[in-house]
Amino acid sequence: MTGHSPCKFYSEPKLPQCSLLVSWMEDAGRLGPTVIGHLNKKLGGRLFCEIEPEGFFQLGGVLVEDNIAQFPESKFYYCPDQQLVIFQGNSPRTEWYKFLNTILDVVEKVGRIAEIYTIGGMVTLAAHTTPRMLLTTANSPEMKSVLGHYDLARDLDYETPPGQRPTISSYLLWVARRRNIRGAAIWVPVPFYLLATGDPRAHRKTVDFLNRRFNLNLDLSEIDEAIHQQNVRIASLANQFPEMDDFLHKLESNITLTDDENSRLVQLMEENLSKEC
Amino acid sequence: MAIRLYKEPALVNPVLVACWPGIGNIGLLAVDTLRRLLEAEEFGEIEPWHFFYPRKLLIRHGELKELEFPSNRFFFKKTDSRDLLFFIADEQPSWEGKVYAEGTKAYHMANLVLDVALKFGCRKVFTSGAAVASIHHSMRSRVWAVPNMEHLVAEARSYDNAVLMSDIEGRSGEGNITGLNGLLLGVARKRGIEAICVMGEIPIYLQGFPILYPKASKSVLEVLTAALGVSVDLKDITEFAQRNEQEIDRLYNELPPEAKEQLDKLKHISPARPANARTITEDDKRKILDDVDKFFKKSTKEGGN
Repeated sequence: MTGHSPCKFYSEPKLPQCSLLVSWMEDAGRLGPTVIGHLNKKLGGRLFCEIEPEGFFQLGGVLVEDNIAQFPESKFYYCPDQQLVIFQGNSPRTEWYKFLNTILDVVEKVGRIAEIYTIGGMVTLAAHTTPRMLLTTANSPEMKSVLGHYDLARDLDYETPPGQRPTISSYLLWVARRRNIRGAAIWVPVPFYLLATGDPRAHRKTVDFLNRRFNLNLDLSEIDEAIHQQNVRIASLANQFPEMDDFLHKLESNITLTDDENSRLVQLMEENLSKEC
Repeated sequence: MAIRLYKEPALVNPVLVACWPGIGNIGLLAVDTLRRLLEAEEFGEIEPWHFFYPRKLLIRHGELKELEFPSNRFFFKKTDSRDLLFFIADEQPSWEGKVYAEGTKAYHMANLVLDVALKFGCRKVFTSGAAVASIHHSMRSRVWAVPNMEHLVAEARSYDNAVLMSDIEGRSGEGNITGLNGLLLGVARKRGIEAICVMGEIPIYLQGFPILYPKASKSVLEVLTAALGVSVDLKDITEFAQRNEQEIDRLYNELPPEAKEQLDKLKHISPARPANARTITEDDKRKILDDVDKFFKKSTKEGGN
């Protein structure tokens, strides 16, 4: 497809070789946006480009979430000291192929892309105290080999179930492969009852991996403190609400909750945890 | 935006038969059956990623192996009577959640299909779809034929069991054909290519259900084979239509007596002279549809899925 550039550049940094981190706003437990926000803050990410929404999103009005009018965002940041480019945006509603190629076009204007990582949360029925494992999907054998140096689940077999669709991250990795750019999707399990409140354990697991992969030298104590605070708060709630305690014990014992129990646990967490964590 | 042709067959004045999914997949079933029975050979496709979101991902041992998109394929067949091109699509390019194509993408795809047709010397196109009609499912589906040029009216009228828009009660020759099966007709007209859309009738009370309606597909197939001068064995689709009708009968007999009584009135509408044989009023029709809608909503709820 041709036409005028859908991008608005605020500056044109030059990075000889960079890695691209991608997260989507519509993410389980808002894991991707949380991780990206953390990295931008700690690494001093600077906004340098946006993709204009026209042609990619339905612009017939605005969506209101948590009392605030939302608008599609597609923003690029760069962290010069770490040779990182960060993209954070809403998933487009149409012209996906063009949009995903535009992401890669923007970054290639800044520097040669060495690797792409997409970051996303995935819903798990396990308890929040269960140790997390990062799951990865590579878009090439070479990338899979790179990931072999880290403690990641790298042998996933998966086929999209009927009635569902592949994720936009998978689509991006496929587009990247067509352009000979290696990449991987990083998926982090987020307990179903923490989707609305956030999951600092998943946050930590992701940042820890990126810290090691890109030698970011990030201090994780802030996230550790958030994990501690959440643990304390959940323990306190479990004391206050015996049924919540029962649900959590069942999950920790690998006992599946009924649909009603799941709903009740989510309700208790959302009503009580989100206020303070 | 690419068209990929795996081979370039030598064809003489081929006729293109193109189809996208729609109500009851009536046109698609008819065209794909014809393509299959004639053993037409695939020779190209429109690269789908410009139009569609992928529908399936395959990961093996942690590596992304394949991303599958809806297909948009071209086929050809040289027959004794004429050469044929087929274009058959799995989906219409549309905004998320919508079934029918519209806007720039639809227009673009229609033009790409015609680009290929013209490349092989095609000057005539058939598309196919569904016509929602006040008929009963026990009746033979007629085929509504809509040409894109005045001089094709006589030909469209000449097909057995076909009617023009002007023959349909209350339409006065007017209507619209939603999605690409209709749009292609207009784009062909703009580019000076003859085209006719043939639409099989589906009962008005079945239009909202995700089922095939092979009875109408069979009617379309009969018109297409006659128009194209080809002969195929309709045994399988006839049997399919019979089985399908038995299944619809089974559901129909579970309707509340008052809804069934209203729908039964549709049996008395004469296909030949519908305007003079009118036995249900607009109010009746609305009541029928409300009753059926309520019935099926209730059935779905009770079914649990």
